[in-house]
Amino acid sequence: MTYEAVIGLEVHVELNTPTKLFCDCPNRPGDLPNLNTCPVCLWFPGALPQLSQEALEKAVTACLGLNCTIQTESAFDQKVYYYPDLPKGFQLSQHHKPLAKKGWLDILVDGRKSQRLGIHHVHMEEDVAKLIHETEGRTPVSLVDFNRAGAPLIEIVTEPDIRSPEEAMEFLKVLRSQIRYTGASECSLEKGSMRVDANISIRPQGSGIMNTKVEVKNMNSIQNVGDAIAYEIKRQTGCFEKSEPVLLHTRLWDPEKQMTVPMRSKFSGPCVPDPTVPRIIINDTWLAEKKAKLPEMPIQKVERFIKSYGLTRDEALIMSQDRDLSEFFEKTVINYHQPRKAANWITSHLIPALKEREISINEVFLTPERFQSLLCMQDKDKINAKAAREVLLRLLEENKSPEEIVEEQGFRQLSDIDDLESVVERILQDNPSGIQDYKAGNTKALGFFMGKAMKATQGKANPKMLKELFTKKLA
Amino acid sequence: MNSTIFSFYPPEEKPGSLRVAIQPNMSCEGWPSNAGSNALENYTALEDATVIRLVKKADARIVGSVHMSELGFGLVGDTGGQAVRENLADVALITDNMGEARVAAAVSGLPGFKPSCAIVSRLGLIGLIPSMESWGMVGRKIPNINSIMAAVCVNDGQDFSMTGETLPDFNKGLLQFKQSATIGVAEKYENRLTNSERSAWKRAVVMMENAGFQIETIKMPEAKLFAQVHNVIGAVEASSSAGKYDGVRYGHRAAGTANWNEMYLKSRGEAFGTLMKAYLFQGAYFQFENFAAFENACRVRGSLVDEINHVLSKVDWIASLTTREKPHAYKTAGISEHYEAFAFTIPASLMGLPAIQLPGIAWDENVDFGLHITGSPLSDPEMLALAAYLEPKKGGGSKK
Repeated sequence: MTYEAVIGLEVHVELNTPTKLFCDCPNRPGDLPNLNTCPVCLWFPGALPQLSQEALEKAVTACLGLNCTIQTESAFDQKVYYYPDLPKGFQLSQHHKPLAKKGWLDILVDGRKSQRLGIHHVHMEEDVAKLIHETEGRTPVSLVDFNRAGAPLIEIVTEPDIRSPEEAMEFLKVLRSQIRYTGASECSLEKGSMRVDANISIRPQGSGIMNTKVEVKNMNSIQNVGDAIAYEIKRQTGCFEKSEPVLLHTRLWDPEKQMTVPMRSKFSGPCVPDPTVPRIIINDTWLAEKKAKLPEMPIQKVERFIKSYGLTRDEALIMSQDRDLSEFFEKTVINYHQPRKAANWITSHLIPALKEREISINEVFLTPERFQSLLCMQDKDKINAKAAREVLLRLLEENKSPEEIVEEQGFRQLSDIDDLESVVERILQDNPSGIQDYKAGNTKALGFFMGKAMKATQGKANPKMLKELFTKKLA
Repeated sequence: MNSTIFSFYPPEEKPGSLRVAIQPNMSCEGWPSNAGSNALENYTALEDATVIRLVKKADARIVGSVHMSELGFGLVGDTGGQAVRENLADVALITDNMGEARVAAAVSGLPGFKPSCAIVSRLGLIGLIPSMESWGMVGRKIPNINSIMAAVCVNDGQDFSMTGETLPDFNKGLLQFKQSATIGVAEKYENRLTNSERSAWKRAVVMMENAGFQIETIKMPEAKLFAQVHNVIGAVEASSSAGKYDGVRYGHRAAGTANWNEMYLKSRGEAFGTLMKAYLFQGAYFQFENFAAFENACRVRGSLVDEINHVLSKVDWIASLTTREKPHAYKTAGISEHYEAFAFTIPASLMGLPAIQLPGIAWDENVDFGLHITGSPLSDPEMLALAAYLEPKKGGGSKK
């Protein structure tokens, strides 16, 4: 029998608002423990939560980016459970009346076929404190850091529309890109601003039944999510074949061992309407303003890039993935008439260099204007491709124009015909055996001469002119 | 410093003509604020509650913090009414969850008031039942209550549940009372009363008619529904509110426990009194085991609000006794006895309506049961005007 997987994702995204969800404390991950706290997020007696307008706006913007219908009325509930990272005994979350419903994202399956995956709803909630487990001597101690307590989150709950690890990964990439575009979050699984839980069950192909699902947590990258789902499908298929029951529980992904391990039986506490935080009523005018402020989303941008700049779909996809990078690309090609060349340089050289340095395009000295003049210098044979790559790397770290760097470092290409001619003549004189080889029909000899000439000019010779000169002299 | 009436009072007196007593669940910076519970043992308020800040700003001084029932549920151990009766304060602020301020006033032969919900900021009130709790007050006279309301009915922008509508204005002093009002009385109300209660009630009706009011019989929802709905929703909200009292950062912490789970269980087990434990247990039961009952209670609450609004569109006020002959609100032990003792004051708490208790009108032999009047939301200033109009006409005064 063949089986198919039924996969639904629950994605927590930490909004990048300056303050927390219900108080004015800074929402700044990475600060010293318990620095950003107040009576509200420490939940001291007598404190009252005050919903942040900015968090609501960012949440709405993110939901619009996921094609959701914003609900006219939404409300907070208390998700009741006790754990040391939640000392007030309940988490404020929207269970009965979520902020948004019925969203969707289109993904490309096998890089071609477009498929629409549904989002059941998106709700707002507050994050809990962070527990740090240490030992003092031999005694295990648990420390609580409240900096994260009360940070604004949205939870995106998908429909069980996903059928494979690849689809799940593709969905997450599209989701990440969409939310990053809205500016609501960085959506980094690695840094914890995006957390993904996957619910997975197995059924005989096409049977349409919903079997017991297993929840998998602790995936710290999109690749981890794919691996964990693939493992879980295999494990559950094994259970089916051995007629062992699949139990409702939660498992943790162990990236070292590349397997999921059981964690606890799934706990769901009651959700009681919160009597303190007022209901959220959204009117059409306000919503229309938010919609109008929404940037052009990647899906539309891809189409426009193909049409306006003649990019291939793959090129357009890469150019539109990151909002900042897409804006960088567009500014570069305002006065540059080879958009495909710019796109290829961004893909092959700029993106890998940024990745290696773990920084974004906004954190480097390189501007679109400088990038454009670098490309032009290469087009005009002022520098060769190898030198251009070197200059690009320096432009990331130095606040200088490409012209300045080329001058300083002596990257200017040797294109003076007289200079090159003397180099060519000297090399031919020094290597008479090479000339004989060439004349005997050995085409590799030309390469040999080119190498010698490049070495002699420290890689600065214009290769095109060099080749022409050698061919002429040897004729 | 402390005494039989005050759990804490400051060593030096501050200036201010009106003397105000508070409860230790009302945050007053630097004052012990245990809310009458070991679960908040040694907890000191970090900053003033909005109401406390506003009272300090007015021509008033806070004379001390009285003893209170655990977390403000019921009146067992409360000395707020006593502080005013013994002339140690002109006004006592008493948290009103189910009628505590009004019943404390009735038992002390004094006026007591609970404002409309959402017109006084709850910031700094260490509460228990957020959807029903209110700053209540017992005053020597109605003008004292009006002065406090004038000081505290201010939107502080920090309690987001406050009404978006214009707040009632108490600053012009007591309004001139309009005499042509109609007062509604529940159909067959007398059938619910004991002989002594009925005799007091009849006296009150005669007095109201003599004062020029038109008494009309109204159809009210079944009386016990109010108590049942209050009990289910109140217990659930209390269970959530008290969830944070774990003895970790403040409050009683049990000694000699092996791990954190044991620490929480034992600390909470030791911290709360029997009545509160029973109430929290009920709340947890509805949260975890019988959520449908809670949902039903919320639905019934909604329809009760509709029915009362309908009644209040036909009459200006609704009247009843304030307190019952038995059980005694200060001594009663069980939850069901509490709901019986507060039966007449619970509807206004559940609906968020303003309500006032007046002494010396509904009395029999040696017992003053108190006249209880409820009105429409935000009718608070008119209600105080009505009370001031009735106050000097009391037929013989409190016999307590």
